[in-house]
Amino acid sequence: MRPSTPDVVARVNRRALIAALLAAALCLVALSLPLYGFSATVFAKKSGNTFVGDEKYQAVRAEVEEAAAVYAAEHGGTPEIVETVTERVNSKGEKTSMVAFEVREVMGRSGWAFMRSGLAAGWLLLAAALCLIAGLILLCAGLAGAWTVDWPELPASKRGLRRCGAALGLAALLLIPLFLMRCNVDFSRQIKLASDGYAGAGLDALLHRLDAFLYGGSAGENTLSLMGGVSYRALWPAWALLPLLCVYTLAAVIAAEGHPAHALTRGLLYGFIIALCVLILYPYYVMLITAFRSNAETTDMYFTHMFPTQWVWSNLRDIINRGVPRYLLNSLLLSVGATAIALLCGIPAAYAMARMRFVGKRAFLGFVIMSQMFSPVVLLVGISRLMNAIHLNDTVWGLMFINAAFNQAFAIWLLRGTFVSISSEMEQAACIDGCSTVSAMLRVLLPMAAPGIVTTLIFVFINAWNEYTISTVLISTASNKPITVGITQFSSFNMIEWQYLFAASLVATIPVVILFMCIEKHLAAGLTAGGVKG
Amino acid sequence: MNTIPIRHKWEPYLWLLPSLLLMSIFVVFPIGIVFKLSLSQISKSGVVGGWYGLENFRTAFRDPAFGTVMLNTAVWVVSVVGLSTLLGFITAMALNTKFFGRKVARSIVVFPWATSLVIQASVWNYIIKAEYGNLNNVLLNLGVLRSAVNWRASYQIEFAWECGVGIFVTIPFVAFTVLAGLQSIDDAYYEAATVDGAGFWRKLWNVTIPLVKPSLTVCTVLNIIYVFNSFPIVYTITKGAPANKTDTMVTLLYMRAFYDNQKGAATAMSVIGFAILCVCAGAYMMITMRKEEQ
Repeated sequence: MRPSTPDVVARVNRRALIAALLAAALCLVALSLPLYGFSATVFAKKSGNTFVGDEKYQAVRAEVEEAAAVYAAEHGGTPEIVETVTERVNSKGEKTSMVAFEVREVMGRSGWAFMRSGLAAGWLLLAAALCLIAGLILLCAGLAGAWTVDWPELPASKRGLRRCGAALGLAALLLIPLFLMRCNVDFSRQIKLASDGYAGAGLDALLHRLDAFLYGGSAGENTLSLMGGVSYRALWPAWALLPLLCVYTLAAVIAAEGHPAHALTRGLLYGFIIALCVLILYPYYVMLITAFRSNAETTDMYFTHMFPTQWVWSNLRDIINRGVPRYLLNSLLLSVGATAIALLCGIPAAYAMARMRFVGKRAFLGFVIMSQMFSPVVLLVGISRLMNAIHLNDTVWGLMFINAAFNQAFAIWLLRGTFVSISSEMEQAACIDGCSTVSAMLRVLLPMAAPGIVTTLIFVFINAWNEYTISTVLISTASNKPITVGITQFSSFNMIEWQYLFAASLVATIPVVILFMCIEKHLAAGLTAGGVKG
Repeated sequence: MNTIPIRHKWEPYLWLLPSLLLMSIFVVFPIGIVFKLSLSQISKSGVVGGWYGLENFRTAFRDPAFGTVMLNTAVWVVSVVGLSTLLGFITAMALNTKFFGRKVARSIVVFPWATSLVIQASVWNYIIKAEYGNLNNVLLNLGVLRSAVNWRASYQIEFAWECGVGIFVTIPFVAFTVLAGLQSIDDAYYEAATVDGAGFWRKLWNVTIPLVKPSLTVCTVLNIIYVFNSFPIVYTITKGAPANKTDTMVTLLYMRAFYDNQKGAATAMSVIGFAILCVCAGAYMMITMRKEEQ
């Protein structure tokens, strides 16, 4: 970064501080305004067989308005009149409307009221406010005494204070969505669960706090039923907190770093990576927790826990009794066999492709690439006929050969890339010393190419292990099924035993995921060497 | 040259023999069978009769689901390949920058690639279940939603979910192929660009994209083929229901061949799929071979 003059530094710092202070002040103002509006029906009337604006409508409307005025005179506030129009066709075939009027009492609750309420949402809001205030103090402390110091020369303590100020602003920013989500839990989810008879822990305390928060303690026993009729929505001051905190955080970042670009890109990068990892791990989390739930819990729409209430380890025993070890063994046999065949055929071919010059090399390469294109799915009918003809139908052997053949292209491709990247000098020397080509390859080349071979091996193994489509067509005997087909027995047409399905899936997934993680580093290199670079 | 002397003229072919034999029997032979069957009459019990001309193709084209399924296949391939390439590219860019925990992130991104599609699809099938699916449960418990949402309200939405799962499982492949390309770019290019005052977007456009283009092309063509052939996702989540409206070509082919006993129509569809793939394969081969010559 170019060095800045004290004038420039002071100007940037001044602007950042003013923006931060302004944003924080506006946040405090927003907190004093109603964050949430709650409304409940105090009077309702329907008018059927009518049109909006006709006499009947006018009469009912007047009646409703009067009721609203009476309510306002008695209780204060400004009740809101809501009309819902439903179009319908009456018995004479005329199109009319049905208008439902509701007088709704509306009340707002400010941020301070939330914080005093003792609700979980209130604590989150309080934490956000405290973060903001603490951040502001730290930011000011970081700016004080180093007002005109250029950023590269900033003492570590001052920079640290400013960075803490920015981090606390970010924390406050992230707490606001949590607050909004928690409001849904407190005002709706818990209430719904309780009215459906699924009392969660701490329901009494929640109802007590809601009573104090919304009814001033007057509802008592009736809080639950009253809350059932309450509708609520976040008002604009609640949403305004988000951009305001963004402005505050950005200003603090500028004060700490001089300019926000680097911090922003880092923030975006981490945000993206975290979101991606959460998304990718989510199905595995679901698999894990569902595998150890009881059958009733897997289909419970009222389930409120993130993890099983009781880890049902007996699910594992049950799948063992239902043939899963046999399927795993079949999968293992078939994958090992397929890998062995694929490599035994693939290594010589790749060697010839990498080291020898001969007529038809290009044609063979074309053949290999073409065969890579044809997934077995399109050839299913042909494959099943062929297998019938050579009596390999419904056997693990048949699957072995098919998997080996369809992975041949990729194996040759990866291996050839590895071989080409290794110099042939040593082999040439070995040949001159009287070694045969075969032993030159076995003793000289293969040890050097070991990492590439291991990558190919694992890759073919995983492909064979995960293969589903051919197996499901070729295998009908239960004792010959590989695991990918075996798990489908837990999902019959009208009943799916999710816990067994996922327990078996988990057992089938863990080993290959670990294997894949082992070759992940070589995979990138292997793909470049083999498939991509040519 | 990186070659070794050969003693006999026929020696290389001996080295190729096992591989050739394996692929001829288990890849080329079934192709021949499918072609032969597509032109033969096949009875309901699977007995192959004589020459049937193009009758099987006529049956396939007259299949009430054929139009919808071709459209679905196009939507499926274009959306999955397009979006997974875009997202995979972004992921690769992110994974290529240095940051704390990069090793862990790379290992995690590999996960969907290493998992069987049928297992991934089963999990997502459970996640989006309307009544008790985990997505509703989690979102309600977190307070993101106020009331349960039917995540599969119509077959269009279900098909969109299937595409989503397809994208999800394809991202790692794209990300790692592109990452391989990115890693092979010499830092000197970026340094030169920085000296010239190029910003992030200029570097992306003028350095990164031209240099990873080969990886990207190969990966896209391969992806088109893999995605076209992808079977377990659709088969597990909807089985093509209702009335083949969410089927793609390969699932329809499977249903016709092994459920509805219309092997003739199924082989004709195989040949049609085969022809479509041939176009892709031809394009792929031309690209690869051209690079080979360079």
